[in-house]
Amino acid sequence: MKLSIIILSSDSVEMEKEIAQKTGSALGYDLLDRRLLSVVESRYEIPLDKLEWALEELASSRRQSVDLQRQALAYIQATTLEELLKDNLVCHGLGAHLYVLGVSHALRVRILAAPEELMEDMSTKKARDRVDRRRKLRQNWSLALYGLDETDPSQYDLVISLSQIDTEEAVKIITQTAGYRRFAPMTYSINCLRDAELASRVRARLWEQFPNVKVRAKGGTVVVETKGALRNKMKTAATIKEVVQPMEGVDYVEVHVMNKLFKKALPLSR
Amino acid sequence: MSERLAVLLIDDEPIVGKRLGPSLTKIGCDVEAFEDPKKALERIDEKSFDVVVTDIRMGEIDGMQVLDHVRARSPRTKVIMITGYAMVELAREAMEKGAFDFVAKPFRAKDLREVIARAAEALGASVALDNAGISRGDEH
Repeated sequence: MKLSIIILSSDSVEMEKEIAQKTGSALGYDLLDRRLLSVVESRYEIPLDKLEWALEELASSRRQSVDLQRQALAYIQATTLEELLKDNLVCHGLGAHLYVLGVSHALRVRILAAPEELMEDMSTKKARDRVDRRRKLRQNWSLALYGLDETDPSQYDLVISLSQIDTEEAVKIITQTAGYRRFAPMTYSINCLRDAELASRVRARLWEQFPNVKVRAKGGTVVVETKGALRNKMKTAATIKEVVQPMEGVDYVEVHVMNKLFKKALPLSR
Repeated sequence: MSERLAVLLIDDEPIVGKRLGPSLTKIGCDVEAFEDPKKALERIDEKSFDVVVTDIRMGEIDGMQVLDHVRARSPRTKVIMITGYAMVELAREAMEKGAFDFVAKPFRAKDLREVIARAAEALGASVALDNAGISRGDEH
């Protein structure tokens, strides 16, 4: 079975890219990176600079900015997951370490940069300060948008510090670890990834009309939760089902409309 | 290895053997089903199976112990783990110990037939997936 996945995250964009490229080369895996954003741009008609911004910055508190950011990330996630189902891949730069969760054949790797190596024309202290600032920004970004701290080492299967290990050795460690049977694809993990992809794709499809939906998928059954007024629940459910039912991979759709006042799920019959 | 794939099913839920057994026989497997893992292990000591499909949570002897036993006794046998308590850690542990595949319940009999077909291919054999036909109420 193909579909081995290595997902890299680092506090250094340069190191992350270098190690991703070298790992892909060493294993003969394709690279999945920000070049994918051009696909997202044409598919969902969101400008490339907005997509880049969504992956890097934290939106201001203005509602419009926050919604646009979440929308962009939803589209990026759906497109990335679709690609991850295709082949052996090394993935970086798309936030995948934050939403490819519970997929046992996805090896999630964190690379800790050595500040001194990155900043040749500044003092070590300045270099460290810069890395620490970026780390803090990324921590805030990931917590705000995914509820996870991407700088927390416990989020990863493998953490490598480049202070003590050079990039060539890091690549060797990653390729060796990726070969462990525990990271081999299996029916369970492939189905987990398929379910995540389907849920993301449905959420992306619904976003324009229903930006606050939560979507879960399992084996072709899709459950959509959305907020709405009680008096419109039948119409809301019908609208959602009309959109989702014809989508590829969907066998059955269930819609729950949450009443705004009582915040209680009101399941609808078939 | 005999022409028909020799498959051993172990699950303490009787319905699993009752449904999966005929489903696998249709595609050319010789199936023996056990609800008691102890008896299953004794049978494994008597005969070398091509494929063992085992549940994980079964009381006194769990599927991981079955996996260890089969791997020690017959390394060529492909062991497929099935469980209603699938988690990343358990899946990874099973694969590390040499499981051929790990399948979460509920699954369709069709899905397991496809896994068995891949196991057969890995053994240099084949099964007749086309014979399976379509059946309702196929989920386990």
